[in-house]
Amino acid sequence: MNTELSHFAARLRELVANPQSAINNQKFSELALELFALQFKHNSAYRKICEARKLTPQSVEHWTQIPAMPTAAFKELELTSLAPDERTAVFHSSGTTEQKSSRHFHNSESLAVYEASLWSWFQLHFGDTGALVFLTPNQNDAPRSSLVHMFEVVRQKFRLPESAFTGNVSADGSWTVDFAATIQKLKAACDVEKPLTLLGTAFSFVHLLDYLAENNLQFHLPKDSRVMETGGYKNRSRILPKAELHAFITERLGVPRENIICEYGMSELSSQAYAASSGTFQFPSWAHTQIISPETGREVADGETGIIRIFDLANVFSVAAIQTEDLGIRRSDGFELVGRAQLAEPRGCSLMTA
Amino acid sequence: MNLPNFYFADLPSEATLSPTMIAAACDMLKRNREKHLLPRKTDEIIKILCEIGAEWLSPGNKFRKLTLEFGSAETGFSKPVLEKGLDDFFRRFTPENFNALLEQELGHARRLDEFVAGAAARGPEFLVHIAAGNLPNPTLMSLTLGLLTRSAQFVKCASGASLLPRLFAHSIRELDPKLGACLEIAEWRGGNHELENELFAHADCLTATGNDETLATIRARLPAKVRFLGYGQRVSFGFVTREVLREEEIQKVIFSAADDVIAWDQNGCLSPHVIYVEERGAVESDEFAKRLAVELAKRETTESRGKISVEESAAIASRRAIYETIAAHRADAKIWSSQGSTAWTVVFEHDVKFRFSPLNRFIFVKPVPDLNAVLQGVDEIHGKVSTVGIAASPEKMKDVATHFARWGVTRICPLGWMQNPPLTWRHDGRPALGDLITWTDLEL
Repeated sequence: MNTELSHFAARLRELVANPQSAINNQKFSELALELFALQFKHNSAYRKICEARKLTPQSVEHWTQIPAMPTAAFKELELTSLAPDERTAVFHSSGTTEQKSSRHFHNSESLAVYEASLWSWFQLHFGDTGALVFLTPNQNDAPRSSLVHMFEVVRQKFRLPESAFTGNVSADGSWTVDFAATIQKLKAACDVEKPLTLLGTAFSFVHLLDYLAENNLQFHLPKDSRVMETGGYKNRSRILPKAELHAFITERLGVPRENIICEYGMSELSSQAYAASSGTFQFPSWAHTQIISPETGREVADGETGIIRIFDLANVFSVAAIQTEDLGIRRSDGFELVGRAQLAEPRGCSLMTA
Repeated sequence: MNLPNFYFADLPSEATLSPTMIAAACDMLKRNREKHLLPRKTDEIIKILCEIGAEWLSPGNKFRKLTLEFGSAETGFSKPVLEKGLDDFFRRFTPENFNALLEQELGHARRLDEFVAGAAARGPEFLVHIAAGNLPNPTLMSLTLGLLTRSAQFVKCASGASLLPRLFAHSIRELDPKLGACLEIAEWRGGNHELENELFAHADCLTATGNDETLATIRARLPAKVRFLGYGQRVSFGFVTREVLREEEIQKVIFSAADDVIAWDQNGCLSPHVIYVEERGAVESDEFAKRLAVELAKRETTESRGKISVEESAAIASRRAIYETIAAHRADAKIWSSQGSTAWTVVFEHDVKFRFSPLNRFIFVKPVPDLNAVLQGVDEIHGKVSTVGIAASPEKMKDVATHFARWGVTRICPLGWMQNPPLTWRHDGRPALGDLITWTDLEL
């Protein structure tokens, strides 16, 4: 076990335990440079790339210069400081059409950082949730999903007996929603007039809402009920623009727009960003974002669109600097998600009849 | 740009089209065709087309100047790329080429005028084109073929892509107003059923370029009487054989490869995604890739890549990031790219599998032991290949071409000519003019 990284992880866990005591920019920069030096030293796959780009702990002066790894590199390489026999868990990306998925390796220490990070920021955004209904499979059925792991952590923290996972994994590996089980939970909340929080991927909400619409079912969930919606569609349902999805949620579940919270996360990260229905996404103070112009590689100005790059201090044992394949608009208080462009997807003839 | 309001696409953007307007335009086009186009002879049409072509090639021509002045903003291509594209296209407009096309497709160049050896040809009365937005010249070619067949024509351009068809129609109108009155150019976002259903109801024949889903949707909505000619998604690649990888010849091959990547910024079906290069030439395949990168860098200073959307640019940046990562870990993978921009990228990779490029001058160079390896590598795109551009010795060319033809490639040309097909090109393996024709047989 690597003691330097372990020490760093322990310190970070303490820092993130209290999300309100935000890590200021100077502290962030110090920690980022320190972590970069450790990852350069202990993560050989990452070091090779840094060396190829001629960026080393000696030459890098500011965290923004630290080489970011494309999320796709997690498919090709083992981007981890953990030796094979130290790895006790692995999270895979959830793409369905890709031949390879990203792999983010963990052990108990790195999971502890992940859990501290996710819990701290979740708690700040959700506070008192009421019963939690997750439209995903449970951890037994989806052990390699970082999202399900996060939900399980949240479920355990709240210890509410009414909470439940109402999703399943079908034979082909795709996720489905158990409509009967979900509806039962929704009804139960309405009966006792206690708020609940419904959490799931955008496509699972579309599945549920389509089912409710087809069966002419409508709920008015108790006041203060909330919805957390995350992730793309991954070809698992029809695609709805965000505003339409949220309007559909309000129509069928009776949850007002202000009680719908969007989450942005991925298996390659250990922290998440949240946004109000129409607001900007914000990561906690231990994860900084940059919106990078794909043309010049430099940060764009406020209001401009670029590739979302994240520096997540909680990615202690993997790589902290991650370049996503998502486009975002830079805002003074965070970023607006434009969506996952069909970036690395194969394209045919570029003929477009728009 | 100050053009008279002849066509729908000339109207200010706030003007909205209605089905009634479409219907009126269709009726008018048919009447005009009857009066002004149908009575003309093939020679006369060819003469006018050649005059138009010559006009467009002359530097002082008003429409050429307008294209170069406004074209970059409208089409996204830089001025030199537009210029080269226009020159390549209009240089083909000669009587010899048109006659060769007619002879090829109709067996005799006068069959649109009269019976020749017991057969006469006629084109559709009303020909509709649903044009894709990426390149201008296929639409100009469609209009040209429709003039040869004496058809009234309506071009529905993709949104933001009507400039060149408009200017071409205006140039026809200026030279021959009656001929120009047999054309209509309009622009709207595809999928406007109200307008399209009206248009489809008038059509005898409809050509459409676009992705396969778009074509399937259009086809399903057409009345049964309409002949449908769909040109769907196609991809192309290059192949360089080892005998030409000699110091004496290599520079010429590199120029040709760069020409194909630069033409229309690689945005067409005929542009290469991948160039396969045979190993064990005097110049090795990775050296070929390196020299191609040098050439693309040089050409960027004189024929710069056009402006692209942030999505397209992000597609390139993401692919580059992946290949930079791979290159750092594998000695046999390499990447060269423009600094501070996405203007050009060369990826060298030892994997024969065909890769879709994000285009806009992003080219894969893949070493292969022989032709069989290429055929293996492109197996996945079987049936989707348009053009293979080949650099080979004349002796080997024929042999290689035979293999590709047997495999199903529909066009084989020298590297450097991929985006510059002749008028006689059979589009995706189909006779572009011949498919418009209805025959009358005369048995005496």
